[in-house]
Amino acid sequence: MFSAAGFAKTWQYIDLFKQGVITTISLSFLTVIFGFFIALVLALLKKSKVHPFDYLATAYIEIFRATPMLVQIFVIYYIVFAKVNVPAFKLFGFIRFERFLPGVVALAMNSGAYLAEIIRSGIQSIDYGQTEAARSLGMTKFQSFKEIVLPQAIKNILPAIANEFVTIIKESSICYTIGVQEIMYAVSSTKGATYRIAEPLVIATLVYFCLTFPTSKIIAYFERRMSRGDVR
Amino acid sequence: MEMSDKLIQVKDLKKHYNKGVIKALDGVTIDVNKGEVMVVIGPSGSGKSTFLRSLNLLEEPTSGEIIFDGVDITKKKYMNAEGKMVKLSIDEHRQKMGMVFQHFNLFPHMTILKNMTLAPIKVKHMDKEEAEKKAMALLERVGLADRADAYPIQLSGGQKQRVAIVRALMMEPEVMLFDEPTSALDPEMVGEVLEVMKELAQSGMTMVVVTHEMGFAREVGQRIIFMADGKIVEEGTPVDIFQNPQSPRLKDFLNKVL
Repeated sequence: MFSAAGFAKTWQYIDLFKQGVITTISLSFLTVIFGFFIALVLALLKKSKVHPFDYLATAYIEIFRATPMLVQIFVIYYIVFAKVNVPAFKLFGFIRFERFLPGVVALAMNSGAYLAEIIRSGIQSIDYGQTEAARSLGMTKFQSFKEIVLPQAIKNILPAIANEFVTIIKESSICYTIGVQEIMYAVSSTKGATYRIAEPLVIATLVYFCLTFPTSKIIAYFERRMSRGDVR
Repeated sequence: MEMSDKLIQVKDLKKHYNKGVIKALDGVTIDVNKGEVMVVIGPSGSGKSTFLRSLNLLEEPTSGEIIFDGVDITKKKYMNAEGKMVKLSIDEHRQKMGMVFQHFNLFPHMTILKNMTLAPIKVKHMDKEEAEKKAMALLERVGLADRADAYPIQLSGGQKQRVAIVRALMMEPEVMLFDEPTSALDPEMVGEVLEVMKELAQSGMTMVVVTHEMGFAREVGQRIIFMADGKIVEEGTPVDIFQNPQSPRLKDFLNKVL
């Protein structure tokens, strides 16, 4: 199954993997940022009790959580972006933007739905007395949310968010199906060129692990830092 | 009494739940005068906390008026000095009404110092250094200067409530509202909090205090309000209320608590 010659052959295509790593990191990074803002807006709309926005937010969350990611990415790439003229240039000289952008949109919309529920539960876990105290000091609704509720909510949900970030890195591999040249695309190309599958997969597995493992460690560090107010 | 002595005028204040089935406040009319210590007593469910929380609109009343600084703060708009209708900013009014809660509600993710300086810096745009200096002076006053860098969880209940009081004072309010400030405390810590409140009363601060501490009401209160079923049943000086109660409800209540 494995052979030194196989690895040697695969190694000739290592540049594809390097590009794949950069693409996967870019995909995940942008997804995390856009996904978080989508989630924050969804969570606030759902909590707002302003019709019909709360219903729309609920419908969005339920639809994205109840359908396969593969279906979502195909719908967004083949139907939604069929009518959108995305400039066809190459990011960093190798990421095809017209495929990359629909990938980010699909991933961000999907993870936004999951993160929204996490954020909503985090906001709900904060005692309403905190908001009342902030408001009674003259702080605006927005200030009390930003300074008092959100930091405490994020602290409570950090493990769940970390889990979601790691999930995004892994799920970004689905963008391979619409031709985004991320890590799995490198595996596929190498396979086509060398007729080797085991060696490229081993490399891909190691690469994914090296991306996700430090990510969860870094977040665990921040978790410790943010819980300074918890110890006597 | 002159108009200018009235800091807050409450007129026929009502708070109904379930379309009027539950009447938490059923027509409360009372004035809070500048510099006085008003103590609100009554059985639980009498509406005294709802009344207090309505004064800075943490509870939105169903009807009635609350006139503070000459403006009815229950309305969305008011007429300014030039006779124009302008939007009312409840946040600005709340700055002038300090509030102390039963459960302290300190911000657990911030140090004591940050708890105190946050609102002055964010809301009043006070300079950080100035805010910290002021906070330290207030902490000194309540004997907690050495805990400035501690987090709320590191303090005892009594210490937390003293911090909550000086946190409210940071905004230099015109009136302080206390919502059962000692009810969540262990008995041995009640005294230290009441001591701070007593000192505050002596400094001339206008205070409205909802409490079960009859000793405090009698000693520090200048006017006692007895509430039951969402209404003010009796009001008077501590002597009137405690030595010469009129209504059967108040007599019954005093029999139970004294």
